[in-house]
Formats: sequence, C-alpha cells, structure tokens
Amino acid sequence: MNLVRFIDNIRTYPWRELLTGLLPARFQAKTAQIVPSASIAGNALTVVIAIMSFLACLTAGAVYLVNQSAQAWVNDIASEITIELDPVNTADIEKKMTLVSLFLAKQAGITRVKPLTANDSAKLLEPWLGHSDALSALPIPRLIAVEIDRSNPPDIKTISEALSQNFEGVTLDDHRRWQAEIRTLTRSAALGGLAVLGLVAAATIAVIVSATRSAMASNREIIEVLHYVGANERFISREFERHFLGLGVRAGLVGAVTAAIVFLLLPVVMHLLGGGGVTATEMSRLVGAGELDFSGYLLCAMVVFVVAALCMITSRLGVIRVLKSYA
Amino acid sequence: MIRFENVGLRYGTGPEILRDVTFHVLPGSFHFLTGPSGAGKTTLLRLLFMSLRPTRGLIFVFGENVSEITAAGRAELRRRIGIVFQDFRLLDHLTTWENVALPLRVMGKTEADYREDVTDLLRWVGLGDRIDAYPEVLSGGEKQRAAIARAVIGRPELLLADEPTGNVDPVIADRLLRLFVELNRLGTSVIIATHDYALMDQLDAPRLVLYEGQLELR
Repeated sequence: MNLVRFIDNIRTYPWRELLTGLLPARFQAKTAQIVPSASIAGNALTVVIAIMSFLACLTAGAVYLVNQSAQAWVNDIASEITIELDPVNTADIEKKMTLVSLFLAKQAGITRVKPLTANDSAKLLEPWLGHSDALSALPIPRLIAVEIDRSNPPDIKTISEALSQNFEGVTLDDHRRWQAEIRTLTRSAALGGLAVLGLVAAATIAVIVSATRSAMASNREIIEVLHYVGANERFISREFERHFLGLGVRAGLVGAVTAAIVFLLLPVVMHLLGGGGVTATEMSRLVGAGELDFSGYLLCAMVVFVVAALCMITSRLGVIRVLKSYA
Repeated sequence: MIRFENVGLRYGTGPEILRDVTFHVLPGSFHFLTGPSGAGKTTLLRLLFMSLRPTRGLIFVFGENVSEITAAGRAELRRRIGIVFQDFRLLDHLTTWENVALPLRVMGKTEADYREDVTDLLRWVGLGDRIDAYPEVLSGGEKQRAAIARAVIGRPELLLADEPTGNVDPVIADRLLRLFVELNRLGTSVIIATHDYALMDQLDAPRLVLYEGQLELR
C-alpha cells in the first residue's frame, strides 16, 4: 500500500514546476511563482551554498586523488619485492649483485630481476638530498628490483630464508609494511574527508533551515492565503522546496565547476607558488598526476546532486515543521 | 452540513467571546450573520472556516468533527468552502487573474482547464479590464470583487463572506448579492456576515444575530 502511494506520489508530483524552479527567477514562468523567488533567499545564501559545495567537491576530489594514487602505489609495490644489499663489509658488491640476481632469476614465480646500479640507487635519494657528487661517497645500499607473477606468486618466506643463508648482508623487503601504511593513510584520508563532508553537510542544513524559517516568516501572509484556499502541507512545501532545489543546483554547479577548475590548475598553481622540482615530485608521489579522471569529475557532479537534494529535503522538512507549529 | 453544539470561545484567559453557540446550516441554505461591531461575527466565521478552534463545544463541518481532523483533512474540507475576507487577502505579487485562479491551482488543475472560467468570472464581476492588474492598483471595491471571485471560482459547497459589500457602491453590491443568490440556487450554502440592513432587506433569508457572545436565529 505504501509502495503504491509512493509510486503515485512520484507520478503525480509536479515535476515540470519543480524543474522550472531550477531556472533563474527571470526565466521562470510568472504563473509558477505563488511564492516569489525574491522572497526566498538573496545572493548571500547562494554564495554560502556555492562555497559549501566547492569545499565538498575539493574534499571529495582530494580524497579520490589520494585513494587512486594509494591504490596505484599498492598495486605497484605488491607486484614487486626489493632485495637490499648492505654495502658495508662487502668487498665485491658488484659480484654479489650478480650472484643474487642469478639466484633470484631461477626462482619460480619471479618474472623479472632488475639490479639497480649505484647511480640508480643514488637517484632515488635525489628528491630529498638533491643532486650532489657527495652521494657517490655515501654507503648507499644496493637494490635489486624483483617483479613477481601475481597470478603465481613465489614463496617469499622461502626465498628470504635462502637469501639469508646463502648471502651475508642481503635482506628481502616484500613491501608489506608499506602496503599497510598506505592503507592506513588512505583510510585516514577517507575518514578525514568524510568528517569534512559531514561538517559541510551539517553547515548546509543549518543554513537552509535558517533560510527556510526566514522565507516562511517573510511569506507568512502567502502561506495563510494558501491555507485558506485549501492548500495542504505538501502543496505549500513544494512551493518552497522547488526554490531551494533551484538554489541548490545553481550554487552546487558553481561550487563544482570552481573546484574542477582548481583541480585543473593545481599543478600550475603549485609551480607558481614556488614549488620547485622537489615539491612537484612530492606532489606527484602523494596524489599521482594530480588530475581528476572521469570518475573524479563524476564525483563532483554527485556532490551537486547531493547538495541540491539536501537543500530541497531540508527546506521541505523545515516548511512542514513550521506549518505544524502554525496548526 | 455545519453543526455547532454549545460552542464557546475565549482568547487566552479573557472573557468568552462566544457562549453556547448552537446552530445548524443545511445544504442549500442562505443565512445572514449579523450583529453589532465587535459581537464576534468574524470570530464565528473563523470557527466555521476552521482557522480557530473552540475552547468548548463541538463543531461539525461536512459531518467531520473539526477537533479530530488532521491538517490534511482540514485542507480537504477548506477546498469545499469559499471565504471572502473583510481585508480581501489578495496576494500582491499575483495579478487579479492569478489571484482568482489560486484555488484551482491548489486543487491541482491545469491552467488550460480553467483559463476561460477565470476570465469569464472576472468579466461577470466587472473586472474584465483589470485581469492583468496587481492588487495594489485596484480600488477597494475591485479588490472586494476579486476576493469574491476567488472564493467562488472553485464552486464551493459553502460560501462564507465577511462584509462582502462593505467597499462597493450599491450597484455593485446588488450585483454581488445576485451572484451569491445564483450560487445558492446552484446548491451552495451561503453565510454572509454583514451589518448592512439594506442588503439584508433585499432578501428573505434567515438571520443569525450575534449579541453579547450569544447567537439567536431570527
């Protein structure tokens, strides 16, 4: 019965009038405005909601970027293990590199063994230490990057034990610790993002509740007349909610488009703010390319939808609540 | 149609404005509600229109006990009642045509269904050339006629009018009375609150007389 009523409500809802509410006031049919747009909210409310939407899009986009980047990291490092050779107390490290590489290449489940030269190892430290000839004098550990077959992974524990037994000063890092830390970082970022989104939603609701009350107070005479001509709560709330829906969509779009522009310009802005090669590298490591893909922009579009729905539903509940207090 | 049983009303802790008011309004009837200024005519109309609740007694509107109906039920009942307020209650941002069409919009009718009806009614009440005018440029009499047109456009079963001829000249007053009588002939019950004896003398209709909070049928 409730489902039938629900479907009937959807069928009989004045969608056309609702959609006209999305248009700016000057483009709306005059006969559609029992409650005039100008009496609902000024530009200040639109700006506030646009800012909320902008913040929500920025947060959602940033969390999405970090998540995508972290996922790429995890996928990347889960496909590799790293063998580290202690450079101290090793007379002929190049020979040892070759022996260890040959040993690894024979193991099942290993697809590629790539010994890194001393220069390669030093380059890994350049983003933090800078380019310096002094790096060559440092006892930098030598590394062997090993790609593993993820569909038929090797027995890491056995390989690790065999390396320890056969080669002194050789250790195996299966990146598990890094994977765990990345996951922790991603979860923290997601939780932080959710908290920010929650705060933005709460602030938006508070602003809309206040604006709804104010709109109802300034339109009290209209509400009374609507009551007198037999309008029920649904009709009256619809007259208000479509204005708030329009406001939510317009402000949401402004916020989302602005956030999209920020994401597009982020690399340029970082450069203009004086970020050198190190900053760019760090940013790249943190958030990948720093650009949203289609799904990221879809997320921003969803923020518009959520903001608009929030405005509409909050105003509806606010109107009905105030109407009940009139009774 | 309407039944009042020992209805009393007071505002806050003040004295009773209405005391032991008992009367019936039958379908198709025509009543004048009269009495001196401050006797409670408007208050009684507001009780009839369910915008006030009695402090004691029972009121039945179209068979429903108004103390027990929901807000949605009250809205449904109000669609069956047309009301003309002394202060017109027209919406200033809507044209005369849009004000008169308001009850039909609330009923969910489409503009195409009622466009001609609204225009015809406005012509009938002498506002054919004021269709697109806003209330602020209408005279008192024009506002009165627009308010009456809004009250009757939905062909209500009960029409309540508070001093409907108070702001119009005798010719228009006569015309409006004929409109009420015509509606009554078509089956609408009419209650007109007035202290215009000239108006009441034009029609042989029962008078509900309010005096010092009590109602008497004459």
